[in-house]
Amino acid sequence: MNKIFFSYALASVIISVAFATDKVCLKPEIVASSYVTEDATVLTNVAFTMQFVLKCSNGVKGISLYAEVEGKLLPAARLSADNKYQISWTEDIKKARSGDYYIKLYDEDKYNAVRKAIRNGESSDSVSPLAVVVLNNPGVYLGPWVNSEFLAAFLASFVSYSAFSAKYKLLA
Amino acid sequence: MSGKSKAFTKEEELLLQDFSRNVSTKSSALFYGNAFIVSAIPIWLFWRIHLIDLYSNLISFVLVTLASTYALALAYKNTKFILKHKIAVKREDAVTKEISRKLAEDKKMSKKEKDERILWKKNEVADYEATTFSIFYNNALFLAFVIVSSFYILKTFTPAVNYILSVGVTSAVLALLSFI
Repeated sequence: MNKIFFSYALASVIISVAFATDKVCLKPEIVASSYVTEDATVLTNVAFTMQFVLKCSNGVKGISLYAEVEGKLLPAARLSADNKYQISWTEDIKKARSGDYYIKLYDEDKYNAVRKAIRNGESSDSVSPLAVVVLNNPGVYLGPWVNSEFLAAFLASFVSYSAFSAKYKLLA
Repeated sequence: MSGKSKAFTKEEELLLQDFSRNVSTKSSALFYGNAFIVSAIPIWLFWRIHLIDLYSNLISFVLVTLASTYALALAYKNTKFILKHKIAVKREDAVTKEISRKLAEDKKMSKKEKDERILWKKNEVADYEATTFSIFYNNALFLAFVIVSSFYILKTFTPAVNYILSVGVTSAVLALLSFI
């Protein structure tokens, strides 16, 4: 009897775990905030990071999420039990374009489908994402257009030139 | 002129003074004061921009500033000397016209006195213009050379060496150039 009860309990745990990983988020809603390191004068890479809270109409919590940005697949880090996630990646300064980055979010099943599609050489567009979040990069700051020392040297040279030509005129 | 040489008359003394390289005390103070300020300005540039350590380089700051003050004052003086007579010639007509107009109504004044006044005014105008232009010219060249050499030519040196070379060499070159 004991044995039967134990195996029942085990089975129920396994089933519940299996169901838990398989939970589907219905009508996902996302509240996101993002940050981009913009001062490229002191950086070698630009970091993009986005935090978001996922809300599902069926109250699903704690599912694994994955993201696809510009062809890159990333796992979303779960920050807390109340569906708070974070996605971050870095990009070379020269490659980091400004503008909107569309982050497509997938759950476990859709992520597998995306990987399969990519493996088969197909476009990942065939899989509809759970949600799409937009991260705006206003553009990284690569320093002023004209260096201040160049401007100083240019202005000083210009004044010197006028002084020199004035002297030349006086001596002529 | 040996043996029998007479003392110069007052007019000759004045004339000699006009043509000599010596400058009046007032003018000299102006030159040294200006040269000191301009020589000290690069300390700010090296302290705030090149991030030189102010206290450990105090001796080189003092020595280079003093040497540069002397060299710049020399450059001012020489440039002024070269320019003064050229300016006097250029401004002669205008000064003569102005003084003659002013003195036209004064019938009592002799021709000689009028000429003297014109000469004196011409000298004053040329002296003033040469002094101010010489300061402007040398300052402009000094600061331009210091900026260009410290930021571009001596970029790879340590700030301490950069300072000594850029300020020292620039002021020395200006002093030498002023003799030409």
